[in-house]
Amino acid sequence: MQSKLSDINLIEQTLAGDQSAYADLIKRHQRFVFTLAMRFAKSREDAEEIAQDCFVKAYRSLESFQRQAKFTTWLYSIVYTTAMTTLRKKRIATDSIDDEDTFIQVENKPSGYDENNVENKSRSFYLNQAIDQLLPDDATIITLFYKGEQSLEEIAQTMGIEANTVKVKLFRARQRLKDKLERNLKHEAKELI
Amino acid sequence: MNNIEEQLWNYIDGTSSPEEQKAISLLIEQDEVYRKKYKELLLLNAEFSAIELDEPPMAFTYNVMESIRNEHAQAPLKARIDKRIVNGIGLFFVLTISAILIYVLANVQWSAGLSGKTTLNFTMPHIAQYLTNPLMQGFLFFDVILALYTFDSYLRRKNLTKTYTSVQSGGQQK
Repeated sequence: MQSKLSDINLIEQTLAGDQSAYADLIKRHQRFVFTLAMRFAKSREDAEEIAQDCFVKAYRSLESFQRQAKFTTWLYSIVYTTAMTTLRKKRIATDSIDDEDTFIQVENKPSGYDENNVENKSRSFYLNQAIDQLLPDDATIITLFYKGEQSLEEIAQTMGIEANTVKVKLFRARQRLKDKLERNLKHEAKELI
Repeated sequence: MNNIEEQLWNYIDGTSSPEEQKAISLLIEQDEVYRKKYKELLLLNAEFSAIELDEPPMAFTYNVMESIRNEHAQAPLKARIDKRIVNGIGLFFVLTISAILIYVLANVQWSAGLSGKTTLNFTMPHIAQYLTNPLMQGFLFFDVILALYTFDSYLRRKNLTKTYTSVQSGGQQK
């Protein structure tokens, strides 16, 4: 059985001309990159475009990757910058990306659940729904911290801010997420009654 | 209340100082409010950790690799030329010109100017002796090979672009 190669090994093979190594690298990170893109795009087509763009950009500048940081931190910073740029470009008229109410109006991703069948909805569904209602920055911090195995310092590097700012933002994001989760659950409970 | 939550989140994340960790741990043990809040935040923390990742389309990797291959195929020739080759050619010319210049300057009779003569008297190297028939033939043969190689690369590139365009227009997945 072939042992799992590290990201650095795959990068070295890619730089040596083995394109299949880069395909392996994509397969390894595509779910997380796509999820991060979804935090900004809110439609699967746009998220796919952003995620693809990120991997192509990463391939182009793979030689410039300094191995002092983790590959994922470097890759996620590309995702964050690309997604922010795309979001700014696609911003509707005078809407601001810092305006939460505006952002919620953006097309929500289709879920695999039947909206009318409340029994089918698990708590994780409501959690994902609540994340979709967060600002991109809040949703990104939550995702990077809980699913990206990133420390506060690494998240700071990814987002280009101070680690202390990340700490404060993470605290606020968790509070907002908790509020939204509770609100959504209360709303569903009322509908049931 | 926020202060308690903030302290507890820092405690859960392990981002507070060892002294603070100790103090909060003691508060959780002794204070009912802290204990209740701590349990609530622990549950939330576990829930946040269970967030599901979105699944990209099946052909995602293939599409990225296609974009990379296409970008590489369509890159203009000048973008694909190794900079070292350009630098090498530049260095060759600089060295050749320098060598000729040094040779010429070394053969100039500088005393001629002092004695009032206006004609420069230096001997030119006899290049014709080096341009022998086999050398010229070799040079021409190399040129022909180089021309054929360039033409072959051009045809391959053209063929690759044509194939990609037909795939894009005919078989793109959605």
